[in-house]
Amino acid sequence: MTGRLTPLALSILAVAAWAVSLGVLAARPEPFLVALPGLLVLATLARRAPVPRCVVAHRISSDRLFEGETTTVTVTVSADAPVALVELLGPLPPGAQLRSGRHRAVMTLRAGDPVEWTYELRFPRRGVHDLGTIAVRMRDRLGLRTWEHRYVDSMAVRVYPRVVPLRSLPRPFHTQPSVGDYVSSALGEGIEPGDIRQFAPGDRIKHVNWRASLRLGRLHVTQRHLERNADVVLMLDTLAEVGAPPGTTLDESVRAAASLATAYLARKDRVGLITYGGVMSWVRPASGAAQYERLADGLLRADVVFTYVAKDLLRVPPRVLSPQALVIAITPLLDRRFAKAVLDLAARGFDLVVLVVSPVEVTRTALAGSATDDLACRLWALERRSELAELRRHGLPVLEWRPPEPLEAALVGARRRRVRLASAG
Amino acid sequence: MIRLLAAVSAAALLALLRLTSRAEVVLWVGLLGLALAAVAIAAGWRWAATAAAVVFLVGYTVALRLESRAVEPGAALGLGLALLLLLGAVDLARRARGATVHGPVVGATLVRWIALGAGSFLAATLAMELAAVVAGTLPAVASPLLAAAGGLGSVLVLAALLRRAG
Repeated sequence: MTGRLTPLALSILAVAAWAVSLGVLAARPEPFLVALPGLLVLATLARRAPVPRCVVAHRISSDRLFEGETTTVTVTVSADAPVALVELLGPLPPGAQLRSGRHRAVMTLRAGDPVEWTYELRFPRRGVHDLGTIAVRMRDRLGLRTWEHRYVDSMAVRVYPRVVPLRSLPRPFHTQPSVGDYVSSALGEGIEPGDIRQFAPGDRIKHVNWRASLRLGRLHVTQRHLERNADVVLMLDTLAEVGAPPGTTLDESVRAAASLATAYLARKDRVGLITYGGVMSWVRPASGAAQYERLADGLLRADVVFTYVAKDLLRVPPRVLSPQALVIAITPLLDRRFAKAVLDLAARGFDLVVLVVSPVEVTRTALAGSATDDLACRLWALERRSELAELRRHGLPVLEWRPPEPLEAALVGARRRRVRLASAG
Repeated sequence: MIRLLAAVSAAALLALLRLTSRAEVVLWVGLLGLALAAVAIAAGWRWAATAAAVVFLVGYTVALRLESRAVEPGAALGLGLALLLLLGAVDLARRARGATVHGPVVGATLVRWIALGAGSFLAATLAMELAAVVAGTLPAVASPLLAAAGGLGSVLVLAALLRRAG
């Protein structure tokens, strides 16, 4: 704990010095008397004051939130001996907003009488926010000396991206051997009825189609289609972003990725993640609730890291980016390196969908909205239309999402476009 | 509440100046001090509070020179306490700005300043008695030099104390 003089002590010394000087100059005793209270106050500095001590403890109501939710920070302060004045600066991480109360407090502590103080924080943006540090400043009775220390208790709140329910999802072309929700063309154990064939030794009685058997005079069984799952890899562009937090293109992309991951995992699919940017990272495809945690952790850390280097997707292990996987590239298409990577994947025969988060709408929202801004945005939209047309000419299914329109609206187009592509192929 | 305390002390300082002298120059100096105090209270600037205190002090000294009255220890002590209260209240207001205030912070501050006032009054009474005894034994020619040396010495001792404490 560090102790030091307060500016108040220096102010009192200055005023006392002025009073003494004026008393000498004016040859009057009154200015000396004016200086007397100040001199008495300063004389208390001769006594070595004991360092005041207080115990700080804090807790948060919830350490896992979704964007836009709030948590309450409760700080409890107590002391064995009275403390004249305690100033506390509670945690307010960048990006968090005070919903109610204040993150600074000033209090007088009585011995053994704890004081509790609460405030509410709102987190509009995803991320891992540190709420573990409280700065404490204590003052002596006359406010001349101050002692400061930092109370640190590792405490973080994880703010997950907002998830919207999705029903129209791009359907993978290839399925995997595990059980899932996609009706496979192969026959086997399943729910969806397929073909009818003559009974053979080994067939189970419950598969006998009695109606067909009675009509045809011989036992027949109903064959069923297998229900399989698929591998889905979400490829997130973290090379560049535009817009103002919490509504940047990357924020919107992360929300889209979280929503897609939730929807595919609900269908028993295996979902993986690749963040493609200055720092490249990935999460191996898997299914289940634990996988959502892994994906959400990966999405929490997704951030733009500037680089001149174009990362090669060949570095990604095949078990992460398997050739049978449906790759959904989520990008604002601000950096040509990502478009090149996507075209490279398409050339390698990957089943690919490009979900383009429109930076024009995001930028328009962030701008003041003057006529010049509007004109610039319209020109930019025209330019981007030609860029998207170029990608479509390469045979890529490109979906354009213009936040704040619902993601579902952009994904509905995926079904139509991919069906058309499949039939054309 | 804390700002109100500072405002009351600034008003008391102006009133004390007016009670000491009715001269126009003293009024103007007092109003300048009040303006600086208002700035300090509104903006939470310590330098403005210190400047206001010095201006009030200068005004008081001018008033004393103009009036040449008998020594009034009560008024001088009251002025000293009001100056301290102004400095302390502005400092506290600055610390409490944008913060939640828990417990009797202002009440405790007031109690401390009242205790300080009582201590100052006792010390002033003792000092005046001692001065009356010492004044009789000293030659009149040496007294300004002794006053200056005493004043300088006390300020230097306090500065040394501050340095040690800081």
